Amino acid sequence: MAVILIVEDDVFIREVAEMMIQDWGHQTLAACDVDEALTFLRSPQHIDALFTDIYLKELVHGGCDLALQAIALRPNLRVLYTTGNNITDKMKALLIEGMHFLRKPYTQHQLQKSVKDLLGA
Amino acid sequence: MADSVHGAKAVSDIAASDIVETVPSALIVLDRNLIITSANRAFYQTFRTSPIETEGCLIYALGNRQWDITALRTLLESVIPHRASVEGFEVEHDFPTIGRRTMLVNARKIFSPGDHDGSILLAIEDVSEERAARAESKRNWQLTQSIVDTIRDPLVVLENDMTIVTASKAFLTIFGITEAETRGRRVSELLQHQWDVPALRHLMEKVLPENKPIESFEIEDNFPGLGRRVLNLNARKISQPGNHAHRMLLVFEDITDRKQRERDALSLTNEISHRIKNNLQVIVGLIAYEAKWTAAPCVQGYKTMQARIGAIAQLYDLISQTSRGRTVAVDAYLREIAKTMSASLLGNTSGIDIEVKAEPVEIDPDRAVPFGLLVNELTTNAIKHAFPNGSGHITLCVEQVDDQIELVVTDDGVGIKDKDLAKSPEKRGSDYVAIFVRQLGGTVVPSKQGPTGTTVRIRLPLLLVPSGGAEPLAA
Repeated sequence: MAVILIVEDDVFIREVAEMMIQDWGHQTLAACDVDEALTFLRSPQHIDALFTDIYLKELVHGGCDLALQAIALRPNLRVLYTTGNNITDKMKALLIEGMHFLRKPYTQHQLQKSVKDLLGA
Repeated sequence: MADSVHGAKAVSDIAASDIVETVPSALIVLDRNLIITSANRAFYQTFRTSPIETEGCLIYALGNRQWDITALRTLLESVIPHRASVEGFEVEHDFPTIGRRTMLVNARKIFSPGDHDGSILLAIEDVSEERAARAESKRNWQLTQSIVDTIRDPLVVLENDMTIVTASKAFLTIFGITEAETRGRRVSELLQHQWDVPALRHLMEKVLPENKPIESFEIEDNFPGLGRRVLNLNARKISQPGNHAHRMLLVFEDITDRKQRERDALSLTNEISHRIKNNLQVIVGLIAYEAKWTAAPCVQGYKTMQARIGAIAQLYDLISQTSRGRTVAVDAYLREIAKTMSASLLGNTSGIDIEVKAEPVEIDPDRAVPFGLLVNELTTNAIKHAFPNGSGHITLCVEQVDDQIELVVTDDGVGIKDKDLAKSPEKRGSDYVAIFVRQLGGTVVPSKQGPTGTTVRIRLPLLLVPSGGAEPLAA
């Protein structure tokens, strides 16, 4: 079973996502912003994957920036992005190539499939 | 050698008088006292006089003293005595016989053997028309320049070699450049080379030879004294009647404020979209949480509810992608719905395909969501129930019929059996279809059903934004 870091500024959405992922047997870590997520990523804590919202608090591309820093710290980390916004060219340019993406609102079935694809990739 | 000698003799055989008679310029010869000793045919024709009236006459006395011109006196009495020749001496005068004329006078002292006093040969060319054309051209240029200076957008006129011929006052004022700094220089050389952009240079090089205008080339940069600005560059070829040389008009439109408004609007749209999607995500999460503690037979109902909420969210995205200001392009919208449904419900390996046949009709955004949900419901029904063997064809068709939009969803599947309608999920699906049709103010048109396949035909009022009322906006 994997350890997944969930970064989402909306508490309810984050906790429901945690609940779903835990139900599938994975361990979760939760952060509400880039700084909190980086604290986990800089620690010796084992992390298999990062599941991050792109629009984090006031940062329109906060999740993109976080993923770039995360990969620099842990090159083998798997990344799953989520957003409710339209994907702009600027956003596309910031996404890490080959990483996974899930549109909001997502159902538990869609999240389960995305997590399965993410960990199986 | 013999040929050369023969040739020189042939030329000398041509009398000098013959040459004088055939040249187009008016020629007269004066003696040292300024008495006309001879004149050529061009002189007599130009000034409408004759040899009798002319020869032996003091030049100033000729033709009722019409040659008694101060400028000519200066030439003959003050300039010629000190110089062997004078060229391009311009005399403007109102001649009683031929009117106001500008004459270009060339004068040369000529000496015959034994004649120590010498004579003066005057070649007089009437350049009135050329001077008038030049004056007209100058007036036109001044008029053009004054028009150019009244245009508020900065602009420059470029030569064929891309150098600046003229810059408008607005250009000089806004960019803080003097006219002298612009003249003869290329736009790319100005300021701190903000316009030295390879793509712009490439496009500019095509304007004149290929007559390809540049439309809306955006440059964003820092400009001295202006700060960061976004400029929209437009260029086109300009031609003058009767002039083969072409020039380029390059106009700089400052769109910084408009661009900022667009960015603000986009930022607001993103913010609203983020909040809507997060709220929908909360609803989907609530349903997921409820479903976790619900008995198995009810779970499917929760899942269906989540899928419908997902469909609404997707429709919002599609509307923003296909909207043209106050309307949504149905054809593009329908294609996006088909694409999204194929990706989410069918996948790449599915044997079911969705085809769209749509006329370019538009609907107002208020009705776009129920319209999308209607299409979503009908297509989902077809995908789920029409093809038990996993392959088939669904067609989404939209066309304008008089003042109505006709939506037809057809499949080549197994068809609807009456007993199917009694089953609850299908019954609910058809209830939703009926609700959306009522919401859209439409009607379901009965269609003859064959032994296989299903056709659902729905007529909706057009209710378009009045023609010309739609303002295209960025999605």
